[in-house]
Amino acid sequence: MRQTLTILVSKFLYRLCRMGSRFFHKDGSVTPGYYASKIDPHILDKLKYPSLIIGVTGSSGKGSTTSLIAHILEKNGYKVIWNKNGSNLYNAAVTLLLNHTNPFTKRIHADVLLLELDESFIKKIFNKVKLTHLVITNITRDQPARNGHVEIIYQKIKNSIDSNTHLIVNADDPIVERFRFFHKGEITTYGVSKYEKDFKHPLSWTIDAAYCPLCETKLRYKYYHYGHVGNYACPNCSFKRGRVDYEAKDIHMDKAFMTINNCIVHLNKKVFFAVYYTLASFTLCHVIGMKTEDIQRELNEDILEAKRMKNEKLGNRIVEMIESKNENALSYFQSIQYIREHKGTKTIIMGFDNVSRRYAFNDISWLYDVDFELLNIDSVDKIFCIGRFRNDVYTRLLYAGIPKNKLILIDNEKEMMKIVKRKSKGRIFTMVCFDMTAVLKKLLMEENK
Amino acid sequence: MKTIRIAHLYYDLMNLYGETGNILALKMALKRQNVRFEVDELTKGSKIDFSKYEIFIMGCGTEENQEIVRKDIIRYKEEFKKYVKIKTFIITGNALELFGTSINNKEALQVFNFKAKGIRKRIVGEQVYKTYLFQEPVIGFQNRGSIHDNKENHLFEIISGNADNQSSKFEGIKVNHFYGTYLLGPLLIRNPKLTNTILKELFEAKKYPFKEILDTPEEMAYEAYLKNFLQNKNVQN
Repeated sequence: MRQTLTILVSKFLYRLCRMGSRFFHKDGSVTPGYYASKIDPHILDKLKYPSLIIGVTGSSGKGSTTSLIAHILEKNGYKVIWNKNGSNLYNAAVTLLLNHTNPFTKRIHADVLLLELDESFIKKIFNKVKLTHLVITNITRDQPARNGHVEIIYQKIKNSIDSNTHLIVNADDPIVERFRFFHKGEITTYGVSKYEKDFKHPLSWTIDAAYCPLCETKLRYKYYHYGHVGNYACPNCSFKRGRVDYEAKDIHMDKAFMTINNCIVHLNKKVFFAVYYTLASFTLCHVIGMKTEDIQRELNEDILEAKRMKNEKLGNRIVEMIESKNENALSYFQSIQYIREHKGTKTIIMGFDNVSRRYAFNDISWLYDVDFELLNIDSVDKIFCIGRFRNDVYTRLLYAGIPKNKLILIDNEKEMMKIVKRKSKGRIFTMVCFDMTAVLKKLLMEENK
Repeated sequence: MKTIRIAHLYYDLMNLYGETGNILALKMALKRQNVRFEVDELTKGSKIDFSKYEIFIMGCGTEENQEIVRKDIIRYKEEFKKYVKIKTFIITGNALELFGTSINNKEALQVFNFKAKGIRKRIVGEQVYKTYLFQEPVIGFQNRGSIHDNKENHLFEIISGNADNQSSKFEGIKVNHFYGTYLLGPLLIRNPKLTNTILKELFEAKKYPFKEILDTPEEMAYEAYLKNFLQNKNVQN
């Protein structure tokens, strides 16, 4: 009875939130779950789950991987419940699940439950009922004020799974590779072979997992894709990038395709990180028993449109708005790589008013974990530093070796677009966090009036 | 030509939370003083020639990496005790714990008389301190899973934030030219005054002239931080 009530309350609140979303500026993804868990804190343990319960976790790439898996499954006729809006915290999961649960039978209406999961909440969401499959994309520095560091993230994932979960893991990441040593259940690995833009040496020494987790000898790398992700081996013991079940090879970024175990697949975005989320999705779908041609069809013909930043204009100049997550060096690295791919002259706008949406800490240490040195190239004309932390961003860029005459501090945001027009050349890339994208869009609109 | 040699200790193990920023800060400050510098990156198994360097610097690491370092660094116990009296040391985050008597009851370098131990709930947050070295407040961030019980030679007094441990009002250690603090990340970039104080002390010993350089971008960032976030707090000494 209590469970039926909990489900009904959650559903009711969800509808109420949706109806009032215009007034409250909330999408109703969290509040219903919050109240539902107040009524019955263990409600998630009491539902009847579909036979496939798939989680996707890791420091980055989990959102893109989840949506591509959902695309492949749905196009193949599976009824999939998944967190489309990327809300990956506990209460959001409660809202989503209860919203699709019959209040009387307590059965979740789906063939597959697919969740992008924050590492910290896997254990809480899947306390009694365990995931049947878990994809682990990578473990890198991410929101240190909340997550601590990579070892803590690794332990959290480790403590939230048992031998009933089939792991699908990125073999290129030595931290993720460690799951192989204790996991008693099934494990399938994927990895990307050498790629023309790999690095022979790490970009900087802010890398984690430089040492063997078994014997504490320094790992040797044949190549680095990014950060500590690449092809590694311990010179002293057996720890290495082990067996790779699904390997991406022959990456033709310009033509947007690659092969996975000799099967040609299309990339829906011409960036290296698309290789990973496509590979992870392919692997998961194959593991759960889908036919290669069914997966291939949805990747190659019925293509999922990539989450693209909306291009804007400033006068005649194109403005590409790239959202970069603060406190995640990898997210900035992806943005930087994307900007570098653009051949012509370019101008960058970056900065932030708040470090995090979740907490009020002003931790800016992560700025020094991002390899901004990669922006010290001739084709970057100017970088405009904006937001409350603009002086810190300016200083960081100066320390990255970027010449002073390329850096412009914007003290008066209202005048920014005029200054950008007058003082810079080339395509404009904004590399900012969520809060700033809206501000910039408004300024662009006003300037273009 | 005037040259300063820096030993970056355990550069590939103790490198969390933007700690490389402190190396960049030293390099920039020395460049502005027209002093040549050399940085040697040393790590597990490296031979440390203590007499070669003027500055030893080490940042924070995961608890696991700190333990790898503890086991390795212990072979230099006597050297550290000796050279801590005469050289400049800049030791941030949980690297400081290596200089106490023990970490979780395991032997450490025993340079200073304090014990460190792990705690369950991590200490994370912004810090504002005062120091007897200069007028301006010191700003920074902490993210650590341990405490220590040092009772003397404090570097900072807490204005807001976290002390060495829950019952203390002080943070860090300064003995001779040894600077140790739980503050992490680009501490030396965020606090140009602290960087200058450390270098001035070293330059005096070396009889190098030291120029005060004003209006640097770091100064501006420091001032902006005080204005944006500490305006309403009484933080001046």
